[in-house]
Amino acid sequence: MSQTTVGKARASKPPSPWKPAKPQRKVNNPNAVPSLNGGWGYLFTAPFFVMFLIFGLLPIAYSVYIAFFNWDALGTQEFIGFANFDELFVDTRFWNALLNTLDIWLLSTIPMLIFSIGLAAILHNPALRGSTFFRTILLVPNITSVLAIAIVFGQLFGRDFGMVNIIVGAFGFEHIDFVQGTTSSHVAIASMIVWRWTGYNALIFLAAMLAIPNELYESASLDGAGKFKQFIYVTLPSLRNTITFVLIVGTIGGLQVFAEPLILGGSFNGGDSGQFSTLTLFLFEQAFVAYKWGYAAAIGIMITVIVAIVSIINFFITRKLSGESK
Amino acid sequence: MSKKFVSIKAAALVATATLTMGVLGFVSPASAVVDCTKATVSGNGCIVLTVNTFGDVIQPALVAEYRKLRPDVKLAIKKSDLDALNGTGLFTQCAAGGAGNPDIAAVEISYSGFWRSYPQCFVDLRNLRNNAGKNATDIKKDYLPWRWEHGVGYNDSVIGIPTDVGGLEAAYRWDLFKLAGLPYTRASVSSAWSTWPKFIAFGKKYVAATKTSKFKAGLAALTKTGTSENKKFYATQKPVGFMDNIGTVYPAVMNQGTEKYYRNNGTDQGQLIFKTNKQVKLAFDTTVSANTANIGTRIGQFSSDWNVGMTKGTFAAMLAPAWMTSYIKGQSPTTKGKWDIASAPGGGGNMGGSQLTIPKGAKNQQEAWNFISWYLAPAQQLKVFEMYGLFPSTPSLYTNKAITAGKDPFFNNAPVGQIYATGVKKLKPIFEGKLQRCIDMAMGSAISLVANGKEKVPSKAFATGIAAAGKCK
Repeated sequence: MSQTTVGKARASKPPSPWKPAKPQRKVNNPNAVPSLNGGWGYLFTAPFFVMFLIFGLLPIAYSVYIAFFNWDALGTQEFIGFANFDELFVDTRFWNALLNTLDIWLLSTIPMLIFSIGLAAILHNPALRGSTFFRTILLVPNITSVLAIAIVFGQLFGRDFGMVNIIVGAFGFEHIDFVQGTTSSHVAIASMIVWRWTGYNALIFLAAMLAIPNELYESASLDGAGKFKQFIYVTLPSLRNTITFVLIVGTIGGLQVFAEPLILGGSFNGGDSGQFSTLTLFLFEQAFVAYKWGYAAAIGIMITVIVAIVSIINFFITRKLSGESK
Repeated sequence: MSKKFVSIKAAALVATATLTMGVLGFVSPASAVVDCTKATVSGNGCIVLTVNTFGDVIQPALVAEYRKLRPDVKLAIKKSDLDALNGTGLFTQCAAGGAGNPDIAAVEISYSGFWRSYPQCFVDLRNLRNNAGKNATDIKKDYLPWRWEHGVGYNDSVIGIPTDVGGLEAAYRWDLFKLAGLPYTRASVSSAWSTWPKFIAFGKKYVAATKTSKFKAGLAALTKTGTSENKKFYATQKPVGFMDNIGTVYPAVMNQGTEKYYRNNGTDQGQLIFKTNKQVKLAFDTTVSANTANIGTRIGQFSSDWNVGMTKGTFAAMLAPAWMTSYIKGQSPTTKGKWDIASAPGGGGNMGGSQLTIPKGAKNQQEAWNFISWYLAPAQQLKVFEMYGLFPSTPSLYTNKAITAGKDPFFNNAPVGQIYATGVKKLKPIFEGKLQRCIDMAMGSAISLVANGKEKVPSKAFATGIAAAGKCK
């Protein structure tokens, strides 16, 4: 990119003041050190890329390859073309797992978004004392082992002696069989995800909120906007990029929910009738319990496709929403 | 597999191996004093045996004893976290040509049919001789014949030696049975539910009785009489169902037959007969009728509700292998003396148990065999029974006083050893095959369809299960 195009870009779109400008690769700056742009750069980045090649890219390529086989890892491998995918598209367990996963994802993402923006708004309040302390403890659920969380939540949601049901019972209602029910088990799993990720995302939102220039709030208050209106008309629109980011990262994670349903049910089938079987749990069951590796690889590819589709939809929806709110 | 991918796989393995060695290279300092308990790799006069296991297969007290016997051998024991039955690691490691395999791997019994079809993943234990010069063939006579078969590969190689034997009897709360006005002594309960239909009828009576005011009054009376401990105990009792989970009925009935999903037709693989074997239908129908009779609580085994329910009397009976008796004791010590053990309906059965194997590629095969043949010998199995209640798979012990004369106060002084010994001696070898586990799971899902009300017609659910099992390959 030449100096002139950089200048043009600047003229058409001013850089955001709270984001560092993207470093330009080839700036004709006489003070720049030119020699490092040679072969050395490749050497220094090699450790990551070699590792990524061996442990990231190759397994991905390899699993695409075996998805077209009836792959008995200890016996024979037979090329069967798209038969795994044909079987997958009519496999009710797969569609059941997909619906469960989407349901759990919706049940966890929306409350998590609301809670974490709310928490961030509270932490953003300059009148709050000990904010560093609160910011730190927000991360505690996130660094707790998923297994530990799942075991504790599994006990909380127990049918006969779980704490949630003891409270439900105290209000005179029937005990809810969280594990056996479809929606109820999804709620239980979603609650683990919400608990684990709300604090982490609140910190991301807080960082984004701190980056909003004070002038915007000042002019808003000059226009007569109260705290709440400032939040709706200044804070939220400024967060739209962050919301997109959190949603996409949350989607990737949410469509790969694994440990929570595994521990809740205690086995890989995701409940007696697969009522909380998720995509990754189904993949794992097919690969390591039924030992159908080719089939499992096909499921893996489908998960990738689904994550991509949902992320794109997410992206456009958040774009659109933030466009309207302007 | 194309050549290209073989070489890529090899490259990946070499990379991993170099990394591992690079890391380990810093760990072994040259030490003068040989204290093998701290050794992490073999060398310096120490042998480190790596053991992959789960649950209570390897008991710490005996590991300590072996350390005294062989101070130069250190057992590095790793329990698997996610895959409780230890199938996954073995499989992937075998697929990778034995790389990274432990010296000893425990295999749970429900995987034994599967592993029998892959004897190439294991060291043939007939080819190893221990310190006493014995190989697997020499010790075969020590074990229950049907139990030994679980560790025999398709090509007749011996791939695993049996640990404990589960057996299957029924543990029940005699105090609650008595309160319900039902038979409650060992002998009378055993004869009252000698068959599965009788068992289900018994369960129905119990559930009906718990709903009566007489039962409730009786329970209330117990909360007022006796010692303060007893009063407190009965105040917390919450009878709901008869047995913990009707899902346990299916494998129990299956194991009481002479054939499961396979017929031994003289070939390695056997002949798949699950579509026509009446035992499969019988096991399915029995489980479904237990479900229809509503005698189970639908609590999942090993869930927190189940653990607590044992103490609270949520259920009054459970099918119990021998190892379950020590689980009950550990989970609900306050119910001591209120349990008893009767024969399982239909007579005998088995649930659980494992084999110890030496996977191909193990580095210390000789020492591994020394340990396995010591650890699973009758003398050590007796100690495990005395300390942990795991029932020995070596019938020579069944006439031992520790087993015949032992009465367990926790189970109302039941002669636990005698009861289980009688049960396990009745069982015959059943031919198991590669798809055993896959078919088991398909049938289990079919039962769940009925249990959860998603399929109202049992015969349709059965057909669904058989069709799903047909997809196993």
